[in-house]
Amino acid sequence: MSALATGIGMGARAADDGRPLLEVEDLQMFFPITEGIVIERHVGDVRAVDGISLSISRGETLGLVGESGCGKSTAGRAIIRLYRPTGGRIVFDGTDITTLEGTALRRMRRRMQMIFQDPYASLNPRMTAEGIVGEPLDIHGIGTRTERRERVRELFEVVGLDPDYGERYPHEFSGGQRQRIGVARALAVNPDLIVADEPISALDVSIQAQIINLLERLQAQFGLTYLFIAHDLSVVRHISDRIAVMYLGRIVEVAPSRELHAMPLHPYAVALLSAVPIPDPAIEARRRRVILRGDVPNPAAPPPGCHFHTRCWLRERLGNPKECETISPPLTEFRPDHAVACHFADRVAGTPEATRPEEAARSSSSTRMRPR
Amino acid sequence: MPLLSVQDLVVRFRTHDGTVYAVNGVSFDLDEGETLGLVGESGCGKSVTNLAIMRLLPRPAGHIEGGRVLFKGIDLTTAPESEMRDIRGKEIAMIFQDPMTSLNPVLTIEEQMVETIRAHRRVGPKEARDRAIELLGTVGIPRPETRLRSYPHQFSGGMCQRVMIAMALALEPKLVIADEPTTALDVTIQAQVLELLQRLTAERGTAVILITHDLGVVAGMTRRINVMYAGFVVETAVTADLFARPRHPYTVGLLHSIPRLDTPEGEPLIPIEGTPPDLRRAPLGCPFAPRCAWRLPTCWTENPALAPIVPTDRIEATGPGATHRVACWNPPTPEEAAAGWPLREGFVPARPPGPVSDGGAAVPLLAEEDLVVFTLEEEPTTALPRVRGLPQPPGPEARR
Repeated sequence: MSALATGIGMGARAADDGRPLLEVEDLQMFFPITEGIVIERHVGDVRAVDGISLSISRGETLGLVGESGCGKSTAGRAIIRLYRPTGGRIVFDGTDITTLEGTALRRMRRRMQMIFQDPYASLNPRMTAEGIVGEPLDIHGIGTRTERRERVRELFEVVGLDPDYGERYPHEFSGGQRQRIGVARALAVNPDLIVADEPISALDVSIQAQIINLLERLQAQFGLTYLFIAHDLSVVRHISDRIAVMYLGRIVEVAPSRELHAMPLHPYAVALLSAVPIPDPAIEARRRRVILRGDVPNPAAPPPGCHFHTRCWLRERLGNPKECETISPPLTEFRPDHAVACHFADRVAGTPEATRPEEAARSSSSTRMRPR
Repeated sequence: MPLLSVQDLVVRFRTHDGTVYAVNGVSFDLDEGETLGLVGESGCGKSVTNLAIMRLLPRPAGHIEGGRVLFKGIDLTTAPESEMRDIRGKEIAMIFQDPMTSLNPVLTIEEQMVETIRAHRRVGPKEARDRAIELLGTVGIPRPETRLRSYPHQFSGGMCQRVMIAMALALEPKLVIADEPTTALDVTIQAQVLELLQRLTAERGTAVILITHDLGVVAGMTRRINVMYAGFVVETAVTADLFARPRHPYTVGLLHSIPRLDTPEGEPLIPIEGTPPDLRRAPLGCPFAPRCAWRLPTCWTENPALAPIVPTDRIEATGPGATHRVACWNPPTPEEAAAGWPLREGFVPARPPGPVSDGGAAVPLLAEEDLVVFTLEEEPTTALPRVRGLPQPPGPEARR
């Protein structure tokens, strides 16, 4: 497949100077809760994102994983400034974009694009496919009309769609094809960073792999950097170089994918890993699940101290130590590149919960050997 | 006699858009206490099959146009409505995907549970209420006496699904049909709910039909699996056997297209190319042929029947010794199932006879874009040429 040849938007791809492409420090995104009709009183906040820090290097994929309501989507949207953060700092390629407005923000947006979850809701049903894919080019005033047309046809090919379908409307495409349109739109302005918010969870199982493979190919082809947001740990592990696990507005663990999987250090990450069903009956039969009690607490009134302490299996085992309820554990590096926010991370490793049998002895019944 | 016997069930929807061939001759049996998984993508007919069993197909479009559903020997397709009302809830209970929309939002949990119990049992309100409290306790709802007065919106999704399980088990049914019971839930809550469902049904010896698209869920929850595609059962086997020796190209494709936690990192995915079929086309030939890498010329014109993978005199339909059956003219060998691709020298998946989109020819009416064209390509890392789909699946070079 040829690289995009038109060259529009192929502008300044900043040189790799070793700095992370994106740095987020203590990002907060609170949504106010108000009461009263005429006089609105501010009575509290939904602390959707409660002070998260992360960095993504050029060409890297960072997976952001967590359950619904943990703030992962809000974090993604705040990072590309679809929201104005209520606190913290976002530095994109050396520029602080936390408070950018107007033209400066729009210019920055050309370098960060988003792929949305629902390809049925995120495409304007009244626009043709080529109109949708070409819209970012129009907005940013890139190229002449013919150049834009040519570019759109190229983008169609790059994402595996027939360029002759450009005149069709979204409803004439299947779910997988629509998500390809969404990907083409995100690629149109040749961004550096793509935030993919649950890009496959609305698709059928057989189609999901098509989109995952497409995203991987595009990354290799165009040197893209991804923030991949999803709830499915097996998908996140597959596509990500590093994974950040979120719980109730905070990042509780960050580690390279392999390490997070082999040696989770946060009790929540352990529970999350153990809850993912594995399509192998032999493994499922002897797996030990950590079943968490109860539901995720209300993010408007998160529990004090460690947000996870109300459901933590380890805390109970350690005799309910006081600090879990009173002191919020900071995200600290436990090993190189592996940070965790737990007072007792050292007690997680080695518990039967954190050692998973499917890792130690893989079932012989598996079908997943590949010829080499 | 099996508890449930579905025989050659045909369900169609007559819509303004034409006829939808939703279920095209599905047969399976279920013994008492057995757990059966129905796996497939949306639109494969797995939910419709079960709505037909319960005779809850949307009216007026949905019709059972053939076959029989025998439950304890009674044919549910012809049973009078009064008898069906008796069976629903009491003998066969259902748990739906979205607990938030399947509970009535304007009634308290108490009203809904008491109504269900009193509809089938001759008990007073006090007794029914006590039973409801007991059931809520069983499914792990704290302080059931007070929570009984709550409305569904005061519960989380996981709690609602527990209430649904409590209601489904309220009358000790012989069979519970769970239609994607955890798809709307988070993974840690899914683990809670599945554990609960498994424990309670095992204790009571309740048979379960679990409908899901998630192969991980059926692997842990069921003893036997039917894989469905386009309204057909394309493969059926005991769970362990199906995962160890998948024989239908679609099953093989499903297993290769999902990332899993138990494989080494960086294992490339092999997607099933193409899109699921349009069910408004009358089935002709194998429904999976347009997406299949193993297809032969026959596959375009003749739909294979579900047949044992090793010829046998006696087909065991239920139980731990159920016969592994597959509907395929050219099933993948074990090596091919492991690889995810045909490994035969010079083998090229057959083109449809005659031009695609030609309604007059004896081929399925197929839109050009629905046909996955395969080309032969030399793969330097294997001795045998590999068949690849277009657009290209990732080679090893695509991974970092």
